[in-house]
Amino acid sequence: MKTKSIFQALIMVVFSLVLLVGCNGNEESSAKNGNDQESSGDYPNKPINIIVAYAAGGGTDTGARILQPFLEEELGVSVNIINKAGGGGWVGWGELANAEPDGYTLGFINTPNLMTGYLNPNIERKENLSSFVPLANQVSDFGAIAINPDDDRFSNIKELIEYAKTHELTATSTGVGSDDHYASLKLNAKYGTKFVPVHNSGAADSKAQVLGGHTDVLFANVGETFTAHQNGEIKILATMSEERSEFLPDIPTLAEAGYPDVYSWSARGLAAPSGISEEKVEILREALKKAITNPDHIKKMKDMGLAVNFQAGQAYMDLLKSDEEDVKELIDLVEW
Amino acid sequence: MNAELFSQVLGNLFTLQTILALFAGVVGGIIVGSLPGLSATMAVALLVPVTFGLEPVAGLTMLAAIYTAALYGGSISSILIHTPGTPASAATALDGYQMTKKGLGAKAIGVSTVSSMIGGFISALFLLFLAPPLAKISLWFSSPEYFLIAIFGLTIIGSLAGKSMAKGLASGVIGLLIGTVGIDILTGYPRFTFGSTTLQGGVAMVPAMIGLFSLSQVMMQREPKTKQKKLKKASISGRVLPTMKEFKRIFKTIIRSSGIGTFVGMLPGAGGDIGSWVGYNEAKRFSKNKDKFGTGIIEGVAAPESANNAVTGGALIPLLTLGIPGSSTTAVLLGGLLIQGLQPGHQLFTTHAGVTYSVIFGFLLANILMGIIGLLGAKFFVKASSISDKILGPIIVALCIVGAYAINNNFFDVWVMVFFGFIGYLMRKIGFHPAPVILGMILGPIAEKGFRQSLVLAKGDLLSYYFTRPICLILIILILLSVLTPMVTKLMKKRKEQKMNLGDEENLA
Repeated sequence: MKTKSIFQALIMVVFSLVLLVGCNGNEESSAKNGNDQESSGDYPNKPINIIVAYAAGGGTDTGARILQPFLEEELGVSVNIINKAGGGGWVGWGELANAEPDGYTLGFINTPNLMTGYLNPNIERKENLSSFVPLANQVSDFGAIAINPDDDRFSNIKELIEYAKTHELTATSTGVGSDDHYASLKLNAKYGTKFVPVHNSGAADSKAQVLGGHTDVLFANVGETFTAHQNGEIKILATMSEERSEFLPDIPTLAEAGYPDVYSWSARGLAAPSGISEEKVEILREALKKAITNPDHIKKMKDMGLAVNFQAGQAYMDLLKSDEEDVKELIDLVEW
Repeated sequence: MNAELFSQVLGNLFTLQTILALFAGVVGGIIVGSLPGLSATMAVALLVPVTFGLEPVAGLTMLAAIYTAALYGGSISSILIHTPGTPASAATALDGYQMTKKGLGAKAIGVSTVSSMIGGFISALFLLFLAPPLAKISLWFSSPEYFLIAIFGLTIIGSLAGKSMAKGLASGVIGLLIGTVGIDILTGYPRFTFGSTTLQGGVAMVPAMIGLFSLSQVMMQREPKTKQKKLKKASISGRVLPTMKEFKRIFKTIIRSSGIGTFVGMLPGAGGDIGSWVGYNEAKRFSKNKDKFGTGIIEGVAAPESANNAVTGGALIPLLTLGIPGSSTTAVLLGGLLIQGLQPGHQLFTTHAGVTYSVIFGFLLANILMGIIGLLGAKFFVKASSISDKILGPIIVALCIVGAYAINNNFFDVWVMVFFGFIGYLMRKIGFHPAPVILGMILGPIAEKGFRQSLVLAKGDLLSYYFTRPICLILIILILLSVLTPMVTKLMKKRKEQKMNLGDEENLA
């Protein structure tokens, strides 16, 4: 009697699961049929899903949701943002790489986290850059080095670097193989500084660590720090970009301060799964170009502290390739 | 705040758009919160783009209203069907569901509503009057303090364990072990992932919780023994509002929990899920009848509910003053602020004071409105518990599956939920409680990260690093007290008894 009831409960669970899986399957097979029948002539003619590999509300997600209405206007179909968070982004990226290349599933890819993910020697992933067809870059957020304004050991970038050559300093990072981590590693390798990374789960944690005086140096991105800098809560000493940031016209770049060849940024843009037809790529790139370079879009992104950097085609591929090269070079420096 | 600002605030608040947004936020928040898998964070994230088109005050008030209402809404399903709508309301299930089983569902909802309202309101007052100094205090906390807070939190397991301490500790350790799954953020090494990409991000908290609490509950109910227990009619017609006597009984608990909640919310590394457990535990610690906790008493509902709503105001403190979100939901709210052109920092309280104070007052109003709607709706909510298990069971299972899927749009999480459903069922069959598992899963990663970060920060001298930080010292003393007090009292009791026994023997001799 007892076992029978439990059995019933089990059947109920399994049945609902089968039902759900079935629904999922149908969706996929209809997508496949759609792909076989339609020509790219009337593409797109149904909603496009864009996978964001991070939870709702993060920087990538915010950027995606700001772009969404502009992209809908250009493509004439609705665009859905779907958050597939987890695995440091690889739940979403894995799904994007393996999605039907029919142009109805696109996704955001983030550097250098994407490269770290497939170059991490501890995880044997089958995906790599060639699993994706890059469409267009939306944002490039350059790295910034900041300190607590009350710190009396150093007050400019030169003093900081010189001090760090002889003293161990703790430096924030947003995880192993993040752009912030690579930035301090690059400085250590190139200029003999002794930055020791303290890995946090996000930029907000990093900021709190430096504001509270617990960690010595803040390695983060301009978009994450310039507000606190304007408020006088932290002091940005240098940016790791080739040119000065439009948000921080008074702050020198590392190269200007006498430390060239250390650049750091996090770039995010859209990609499709490999195998997508060339015509569809052209349609998408054209629409993305108009949407991303739309002045209203640029302004809204700027309000969020995000610098739009539209790159498409070969230029975007070059940007990704150079990120990949950087990560390959640094991968041996990481203590995995 | 001067009179001019105050009238500006009133003008901002009492516009049709703001009032409508406030109302929509509260009702929507309660609904979203009560559904497992739909979290406050998700609701706020989806609505941030909607607020583009609204006035800043209306948009931000709506987001803040959703936040607090969702944390309250989570308690409704937690109390009535043992399905916590949010991780923050898991602690409420302990006593809340027992009350429903006793036919006191309406009372439980009433207590939870009143406590949530007061908790939210008090935290809003803290936000209104003490935001800048409190934000400074929150910055004193760093990795070593987070490690110790997590350890302090783990001492709660002792009080959750019920009859058998060994079983409670074993459940807690299982939770800690599950918390180690995923890519280690300090080394990038995948632990216990067995080649699964999804597991690299760790075992998802919400699906595991839904499985442990809800699915296992449905399975238990299918057993003949519990099936016979028909719910009393009183669960529907019972009084909602607590009596004056009852209110007096829980008043201290509510105030204490509101303070705890505001404080925990203020810390960037801890949110409602921790706040509610600490609130529950402290209520038990200070209670005269500790044994009654877990059997369905109003203190057990009031404590976690006032704490988790107090977290909301607390979490807004570092967000508005420093731009550092105190919880995952406020991280999303940060986006909402920036979109409206409001940069967190002191100019929020000077240049933009009109908008900021309007939103804080809106948040105060939202908590009151939430209380009114909750009390009015309680009689309708409670009807859920009078539905026959035969109908309710499948509905809960469907909610479990949808909720587990919705949290990350990932089917793998549904399997996680089912797996934990079975684990939860087996655990209950042999007298283990699932609550310590959840606690271990929440606190394990915080403790590990905090300790390993402090190893780096200590630059090789860990002991003196810990013992030279004043807050660390306080926390260490609290932990020692928490662990040793029950032992000492037990020992003293034993000695007393022994003495009496000895006396008896002497008398006999």
